[in-house]
Amino acid sequence: MPFSELDTAAVARTLSQIAEKPEDVVDAYFERREEMELPPDDEGPGLRSWREEGFAIRLVRDGKTWLATRDVVDGRPFAEAVRQVARALPSATYPEPALRPGPVLPSAAPELLDFPGAVTRAVRNHHVGFPVRITVRRHRRWVQVVGPRLVPGPEAETFYSVTAEMAWGRHGALFARLDAAAAESVAAATVALFRARQAHPPDLFEGAAVLAPAAVAVLLHEAVAHALEADVLARGGNPELAVGVPMAAATVDVLDDPSAAPEGVRRTTDDEGAPVLRRWLLRGGVVEQPLADALWARTSPVLVPGAGRRGTRHLPPGPRSSHLELLAGDTEDADLMAGEDSKAPALYLPEASRGTLDPLSGAFALHLPFARRLRNGTLAETVGPCVLRGRVADLLTRVAAIGRTSVAAGAGWCAKGGQKMPVWATAPMLRLEGVTVTPDGTLA
Amino acid sequence: MAPPSPTAPIAPVIAAQLQEVLVSLVRRGWPDAEVLMKRGRSRRVELTTCTETSAFTQEQAWAVRAGHHRGSLFAAGTGEPRPDGPWPDPTGRAVRIPEPVPVPVWNEPSDFDAPLIGEREGLKLLESLGKELTAELPKARLLHAALEDGSSESDLANSRGLRARTRSRVATLYLEAAGPGRPDGHQTPTATLYLSAREARKFHPPALARRLADRLAVIAQGGPPEHDTGDMLLAPPVASRLLCGLLPLLVGPKAATAMSGLRDHRGRIGSPHLTLIDNGRLAGGAFESSIDGEGMPTREVLLIDQGFFRQPLLTWWQSETASGAPSGCTRRAGWRDLPVPGPTHLYLKPDPKIPVASLLGAVTQGYYLIDVTGGPHFDLTENRFALPVCGFAVQSGRATAPVAGAWLCGKISQLLQNIVGIGRDLAFHPLNGMIGSPTLLVTGLELRKG
Repeated sequence: MPFSELDTAAVARTLSQIAEKPEDVVDAYFERREEMELPPDDEGPGLRSWREEGFAIRLVRDGKTWLATRDVVDGRPFAEAVRQVARALPSATYPEPALRPGPVLPSAAPELLDFPGAVTRAVRNHHVGFPVRITVRRHRRWVQVVGPRLVPGPEAETFYSVTAEMAWGRHGALFARLDAAAAESVAAATVALFRARQAHPPDLFEGAAVLAPAAVAVLLHEAVAHALEADVLARGGNPELAVGVPMAAATVDVLDDPSAAPEGVRRTTDDEGAPVLRRWLLRGGVVEQPLADALWARTSPVLVPGAGRRGTRHLPPGPRSSHLELLAGDTEDADLMAGEDSKAPALYLPEASRGTLDPLSGAFALHLPFARRLRNGTLAETVGPCVLRGRVADLLTRVAAIGRTSVAAGAGWCAKGGQKMPVWATAPMLRLEGVTVTPDGTLA
Repeated sequence: MAPPSPTAPIAPVIAAQLQEVLVSLVRRGWPDAEVLMKRGRSRRVELTTCTETSAFTQEQAWAVRAGHHRGSLFAAGTGEPRPDGPWPDPTGRAVRIPEPVPVPVWNEPSDFDAPLIGEREGLKLLESLGKELTAELPKARLLHAALEDGSSESDLANSRGLRARTRSRVATLYLEAAGPGRPDGHQTPTATLYLSAREARKFHPPALARRLADRLAVIAQGGPPEHDTGDMLLAPPVASRLLCGLLPLLVGPKAATAMSGLRDHRGRIGSPHLTLIDNGRLAGGAFESSIDGEGMPTREVLLIDQGFFRQPLLTWWQSETASGAPSGCTRRAGWRDLPVPGPTHLYLKPDPKIPVASLLGAVTQGYYLIDVTGGPHFDLTENRFALPVCGFAVQSGRATAPVAGAWLCGKISQLLQNIVGIGRDLAFHPLNGMIGSPTLLVTGLELRKG
């Protein structure tokens, strides 16, 4: 661990000098990141590596945050940064604790080199062949948070991101492991895009939509997680007033549980050093516990910290989800596809490329690279790029049935507020009734 | 008094560090090597409806490109580069490093030395913006305002003997505001602005508040026409976004071929009013510099001259295989990024004699489109574009009704060929580089309901 030799006791003693009020939040956030990337064959330079380490000192008082950050882990810059955030005695000097990060690891990532070939072979196993530009990147992060009174254990994350680019589309995914299953997942997604490349977008569609787990993951992230972040709720009023509000059908239970995320990205504390919890965002369709960090937890006793995340040390943390779970229902997948009336129009949405939420209006859009029509409970013709639109409060009440098999539903990047973070999900299939799907990007 | 120099000299300590790393890379058998070292600092102040944040950041980082004819690597990190790495093994394609070339004389702007905005000064600027906005449009409020003011110095050295030092000074401002609701109570209108200037003190709160208030009022009260044509008066934010969408036609060796499809029978790709320039040395520009991200000299490049296409933006290595002189147009967004070709300050040449009022007076029936409300669609192969916009319907030079929820649509060739008037109000926007345009009067385009 890079920060195993950090003198956390000395750091805590220094921080305690600027925490003047009992309700002050003061912490030091030490971070080391390492990324290795293998770009497509036709792109130079070849293997790429990024290594960075540094720290941030933060003071939160009465809703105001002061932050000072450095790109080095050393005693003198640490003392300077403490002086910059201190409010009572800005000109005072502070002790320089001994800060000695661990050694730099060798720049090697042999697992990256084999992956593009594994995807190419997996594509061929689908009896098709087409050029795909694969970019694969390994992400590693080590975090140590130190407060004036508590020093939680260090945290580490390792995962992989893959981007597949083709003339007719692009697919991106995150994986906890870069194994044969990951290669097959990328291959299956690119083959599906290849087979849908000439499909026409549907006309305005109104009816039922069956979402595969990957599409459910994006829906949950945008329509539930973002909508229940304390800072997003605050744009429309008091965040604690959301608690107890019915937001979805009574069958919908959604949790955020970073401790149940895939191995490699599992967490016991958040990026503020607070213990993570199995947080019921929606229980029985009713809002139970919005996502909050230390700053927002200070504003209301009903908001509980433990969901503070940072995309970078240079920006303060914010309340964000890590690993969303939609609890399984009691409907077989085949019944979800058939629905109650087999003659009613229905679409199957295998994956979503992105989602957007307007926090003020609640307007929600799920962008789908392609979809399949459902006829008599079976998959029929493919339709091209389209958008599932609605308002969060209305859309989630249209959940008619939830599948009984939960699976790791893939993951993606969230870039809210310019902080790019990985988000993970576990979900079953889902059926929505009476939704609207419009063609995407055809106005020109 | 010392004569002006093209680039400031590298400090001896840093020069020695750069040299040590270069020697180490070359000794490893990687004759093509380049080392960048960068130091920066920034102040960021941010207001939301409930929170206030002040952050001060000091960054120090480096980046290395190196390799031989069989492969190459890129490595970057914080702190100072160590001669012994560790470096990844070179793979993939070879990397090419430029030979040094003379850099024309350039005077470093004096405001590079201006101090960063202070915490209180920055917060006061944001608070005054909120007050001005409410004064312009009662019940309007700032949802989010973030001001960042930064400066940096970069030192670059490569194994071919190039040595260069550049400084940079840039500030950005992000504003998000909500207005009073629509009369039908359907939706709260919101508007965002993202701006860039050389330093934070150049942002003018009353003007920005007026711009936000105009847009919020138009969105709150306006509706789209079903389908209409007429004269379209495009304000700088709209024209700049359209220009940004045309970048694939303006950058790189394939641009000339792509542009050829837009030529008319006289060989023009645009109206005689269309003169397009990129200038990395633009005085007062946010990215003003004498050299680009690889240490090559920047210059003013005439891309389109009175409707005739002259040359695309080309890096030194692209100009070896394409028609046109090198433009000094390699950008490094930051130390984490590889150098890539792109515009620095790309702009449509304004007509200093034409005020916007005279262009507006020339509109008999049409629209004055003041801002962009979402992401554009550009289909360069199908020669089409669509851009969500808001503004006003205009009759006989007078605004008659607000317009919102509309899409400006048409052919790209029509957009370029049918510019009939160009104003003097050149304004730049941080898009893909700084993209600038004055107000344009264009015919032959359509406005549709979104």
